[in-house]
Amino acid sequence: MRQPKSAFDWRRVTESRLFFPIVALALVLLFDLIFVRGFFAIEAREGNLYGNVIDILRSGSTVILLALGMTLVIATGGVDLSVGAVMAIAASIAALMMNPYVMAKELPENLQKLVGDPNFTYAPLWAVLMVTLIVSAFCGLWNGLLVAYGKIQPMVGTLILMIAGRGIAQLITNGIRIQIFYEPYAFIGNGWVILPFPLYIVILVFTLLWLFTRKTSIGLFIESVGVNARSSFFSGIDEKKIKLLAYTLCGLFAGMAGVLASANIKTSDANNIGWALELDAILAVVIGGTLMSGGRFSLLASVIGALVMQATTTSMYAIGVPANAVLAVKGVVVILVLLLYSEQARNLLRRIAVQQKEA
Amino acid sequence: MATSEKGIVRMKGIHISFPGVKALEDVDFTLKKGEIHALLGENGAGKSTLIKVLTGVEHQSKGTIEIDGKEISIKSPQHAQALGISTVYQEVNLCPNLTVAENIMIGRAPMKLGSIDWAATDDQANRLLKELDVHIDVTQTLGSYSVAIQQMAAIARALEISSARILILDEPTSSLTTHETEQLFSVMRKLRSEGMAIIFITHFLDQVYEIADRITVLRNGRLVGTYDTASMPRLELIAKMIGRTLTELDDMSKLKLESGKLIRGEALLKAKDLGQTGSIEPFDLELHAGEVVGLAGLLGSGRTEMAQLLFGVEKPDSGSITMDGATVESFSPLESIERGVALCPEDRKAAGILGDLTVRENIILALQASRGWIKYLSSSEQNEIADKYIKILNIVTPSSNQLVKNLSGGNQQKVILARWLATNPRLLIMDEPTRGIDVGTKAEIQKLVLSLAEEGKSCMFISSELEEVLRTSHRIVVLRNKEKVTEFSGEVAERKIMQLMAGSE
Amino acid sequence: MKLNINASIANNRRFIPVVATAVLFIIAYSIGAGFYQGMRDPQVFLNLFRTSPFLLIAAIGGTFVILTGGIDLSVSGLVALTTVAASALIRAGWDPWVVILLMLVMGMTMGTILGAFITYMKVQPFIATLAGLWFARGMCFFISDDAIAVDNRVYKILSQTRILIPGLSDPTKKEGAYISLLVVVALVVLALAVYIAHYTRFGRTIYAIGGNEQSARLMGLPVNSTKVLVYTLAGFCSALAGLTLNIYVGSGHGLYATGFELTVIAAVVMGGTMLSGGSGYVLGTLFGVLVLGVTQTLIQFNGMLSSWWTNIVVGALTLIFIGLQSFLAARKVQAVGGERKQEGLAEMLRRSRKMLLYSGGVIVAILLIIVGVNAFMPNIPTKCTLKPFQQEKAAALVEGGAVVVYEHNGGSNCVDELYAIYPGGKITAEEGANRLEKQATSDDIEELLSGINALGWFTDTLYSTEHEPCGQCFTFFLTVSDQGQVKTVKAVNGGTDTPPAYWKVIALIDEIIPHFGAP
Repeated sequence: MRQPKSAFDWRRVTESRLFFPIVALALVLLFDLIFVRGFFAIEAREGNLYGNVIDILRSGSTVILLALGMTLVIATGGVDLSVGAVMAIAASIAALMMNPYVMAKELPENLQKLVGDPNFTYAPLWAVLMVTLIVSAFCGLWNGLLVAYGKIQPMVGTLILMIAGRGIAQLITNGIRIQIFYEPYAFIGNGWVILPFPLYIVILVFTLLWLFTRKTSIGLFIESVGVNARSSFFSGIDEKKIKLLAYTLCGLFAGMAGVLASANIKTSDANNIGWALELDAILAVVIGGTLMSGGRFSLLASVIGALVMQATTTSMYAIGVPANAVLAVKGVVVILVLLLYSEQARNLLRRIAVQQKEA
Repeated sequence: MATSEKGIVRMKGIHISFPGVKALEDVDFTLKKGEIHALLGENGAGKSTLIKVLTGVEHQSKGTIEIDGKEISIKSPQHAQALGISTVYQEVNLCPNLTVAENIMIGRAPMKLGSIDWAATDDQANRLLKELDVHIDVTQTLGSYSVAIQQMAAIARALEISSARILILDEPTSSLTTHETEQLFSVMRKLRSEGMAIIFITHFLDQVYEIADRITVLRNGRLVGTYDTASMPRLELIAKMIGRTLTELDDMSKLKLESGKLIRGEALLKAKDLGQTGSIEPFDLELHAGEVVGLAGLLGSGRTEMAQLLFGVEKPDSGSITMDGATVESFSPLESIERGVALCPEDRKAAGILGDLTVRENIILALQASRGWIKYLSSSEQNEIADKYIKILNIVTPSSNQLVKNLSGGNQQKVILARWLATNPRLLIMDEPTRGIDVGTKAEIQKLVLSLAEEGKSCMFISSELEEVLRTSHRIVVLRNKEKVTEFSGEVAERKIMQLMAGSE
Repeated sequence: MKLNINASIANNRRFIPVVATAVLFIIAYSIGAGFYQGMRDPQVFLNLFRTSPFLLIAAIGGTFVILTGGIDLSVSGLVALTTVAASALIRAGWDPWVVILLMLVMGMTMGTILGAFITYMKVQPFIATLAGLWFARGMCFFISDDAIAVDNRVYKILSQTRILIPGLSDPTKKEGAYISLLVVVALVVLALAVYIAHYTRFGRTIYAIGGNEQSARLMGLPVNSTKVLVYTLAGFCSALAGLTLNIYVGSGHGLYATGFELTVIAAVVMGGTMLSGGSGYVLGTLFGVLVLGVTQTLIQFNGMLSSWWTNIVVGALTLIFIGLQSFLAARKVQAVGGERKQEGLAEMLRRSRKMLLYSGGVIVAILLIIVGVNAFMPNIPTKCTLKPFQQEKAAALVEGGAVVVYEHNGGSNCVDELYAIYPGGKITAEEGANRLEKQATSDDIEELLSGINALGWFTDTLYSTEHEPCGQCFTFFLTVSDQGQVKTVKAVNGGTDTPPAYWKVIALIDEIIPHFGAP
């Protein structure tokens, strides 16, 4: 029963959890290679790198952050629909803390000039970030309480914050789109240090999360709860606490994404920030191979999944598809991915693999 | 009542196996018209599998089925229904949100001018229920009625469809009161007198003797025998169910438990008046270090409930547990593990394995849970522990990275056992640890249990095989009908234990 | 036979959610009518119906889907696509009836495809309909980036026909309380839906699937085909709702109905239908829609609360309904021994006490943070005072020869802009101390006037509406003087009964006048 070495290696590769997402990403990039001239061009300007690929990494950082948090929630067998709304809340709080004067009707001259000054912020940056992230974490905590302790279905429970959250964000800013002038904050989303600054944030956050889930037993517990909550209970794992943690982290990450997004466009737009991004995040996780029923998860695979979503979008723009029409392409991509990941497809592929092995 | 010898259903030589498990081996089963036939056996004996074959949910790999003398292959549940076979499960398979009448008639409700004629539907349902001597308001939702009434509705539906000739009742009395059980029995008798063949699956021996004409006993996937109720004394029946023959019993009038090697330590855990309403009556129990306590009792006697109560799965309704002199205040598996108590549960699929995780992860899980989330076992530590128990328990797996769901049932059981051994408990409770395991390994595990006791641990051993319990324990606790009956140690008459288990004096 | 109240309540327990919503609606409306004079006008009540036929129709489709335990997020995409596709086809000259038929077929096709994915490929309804949403909305923009206006006789008749309510109106003068033809369509759909739900095998199978899908299969019901058909039905309703919207506003755009699916879900849930499926009534959805409508009306009439309080109130109401439903449903706890145990009241209280404690803690924490942040904030006056209307000045301008005088008053910054357009092409604009002037050609003015006339300015189709302006709303006064006629129409944006053509007139004027800095 000896198999040629190459066949054996090939099977290990295909069975790796990263296989499908990488293939998906490769397909998209292949499409770009063929149909878009100069897609992969990278140019250096003033010591910084620019290009379509860099752009994918930069604009994808928001979805990556969302996908990281969403991975944990989906791994416990749930889902969080409110991440877009939490982004809006976070952006609103941050913008308001930096420039509360925007609420005033009449501003004396000197204040008017001050507000537009890129060095001005009412509250120090650390305070802004801290408060924003704490409130986002609390939003996640709220979701977690509803799902884990209130035993409300995740889709239903997080739907509530999804609806009400935008209203809350608008309430905070009184419906005004607050412009952000404070340069250090804007740098978070717009800055460049050779590579776009958001990329560094993503790398840092990813590393921390990876350490947290894989160098402690938290990752194992999350997977355990997702696979079989009852068996986990008998083994001494408290399903409720784990789920609460997952949702809180998801909220926290949504807050981070909100900061990134608002820093990027230098506005807090309660209506539009994060609009429909929760769906991108969920899809990124699904593409990454985490089952919606919960269980095993891979942070890296979700990141790749997010990049697939972002690359698709950027590629569409690159070939000239009108902005809003990209949505239709995304819809088709979703279906294709789901067909690929469906039971039928997996069975088919398995049968092919078995036939190959016996050949 | 005149019954044809041939029988309305005849199953011969049924073989069926699932990955790693031989569910049924060479089983014969005959059902006659106009009889109530009880099907008995412990969990895992093969009762539900036999029924699944008869109702078209599963297909036998070998063997034949004849209905009315004609050999037939039952393709699907719909096909079985068309053949006149109807089943009422313990989980009443109806829709609780629809009305009773609708549940009975749905899919064949009378129509008037293209729309459902509700008046006629209600009438029809009423008529059917009256035949079963049930008088209720059929316009209320099914879910608002007790399980007993729901079962009646399910039976009514079964009768309505394709004039059922064979009715299978799967554990119908588990959630019924005595009065409701009586009502069910009178319905069954009525149907029997009309020629219906009824298969009655239950674990309540009293009920079997009350209503069944014949009894079939299955054990470990094989047929033990089919008997007329009238000529089968209770004691003999029990013996058949647990695998002893009466002559054997007569020979071993007395058995000395392994008390010779016993060095009994102080009491590790004292349960006083511990009970849970509906699950188990308040009981007293002391568990000592270095001692193996065996639980003997039939299915439904409260064995699992007692074990789970001791492990703290739920807060007890009465009584207390004292460990190391202090009263236990809060009850949860995690806290029990931290106190050094471990429970290897009975239902390994639902409460045991984590199929999508690896063997290694399954083994270290409870240990990790007790260490908390920060003190993560390193890869090398995990591998060390996993390898150690793979060796000790002889777990057959290509590597410790294999997903547990790919292992055979017996090996899965060993993985679960390994998990609990890895927590190095002071008290280890094992609920049916040898189910689905081959004979050789069974003996190993029994030896393992005894050696754990020698090391100074306290063990509780639960099994439906009385022989095992006898061979492994220093002391035996007998349970019956969710109640602790008595304890034995030292010399014990096996016959006496069985009498107590059966409730026949 | 004694009248046992307890028994009759227990027997009809399943009607409680619907009754609760209906009662809530009645209470809310009564409170509103008590506080606000304007709400006592029966037309306001009828307007609740008039402005929501699309929500009702779409929510009916959504109800059926949710009854099976599924969900349909593609509603808003399909609605938008219908408006755009229909508008484009009519603009290209197709017969409107053919277009209507075609749109319905399109809706059903898309629904069927989604249903097949969900049923046979076992894709989660959430994700499948999400993909459908993206696809539909994206396709809108493949057709057209901008709004497409519809100018069609049939459409006009459908949208403008008033059906006077007997007893509340005067047929000879053609005045009084009325509803539109579209509302009748919606009510007909509702009636059909009730029939389907309670008198057809299809409908009862839907309920069975929602109750226990596995049991339904075992009972021999056609579960798979019913599941697919339910989505076909939802697609039909979405398309019909889109057509209704298309007719009502007379145009189509890919950005219409964003967030609509959430409103639909909210309406269905508030109508007493549980998201887990199997329980609920189509009629309840009607009340859900009405409650949403009354919420919006109350907020408008209040004027003090900003319009996004609607979102918060809707979210809170949804929370209460959903939360209660799920909470009660979780009572059937899978007890440890494998037997089903009904969670006793004591256990439920215990579980709820812990959860309420923690949730309360979280809310308190968030409030504390907001209060703390507020304390940091400098003291700023956040509200401005509305400037008085300048209608006497407007009249004077007309006397002085202006053909169009337009006052734009209100908003979050409390502006008051007054524009005057003269036949020679001169346009003046005033805002506080600021003045602007612009010179257009007299041809431009001619074109503007004929456009305004074509929209029916001097006919009954354009009329003033009386509203208290809400916190963020603008009040629009428009006086047009042409060929000897002078007419002023007042409207408040956010007013649900403003004739749609009015906004088209404003759009025409907006194109020509100069603007003061960023809006």
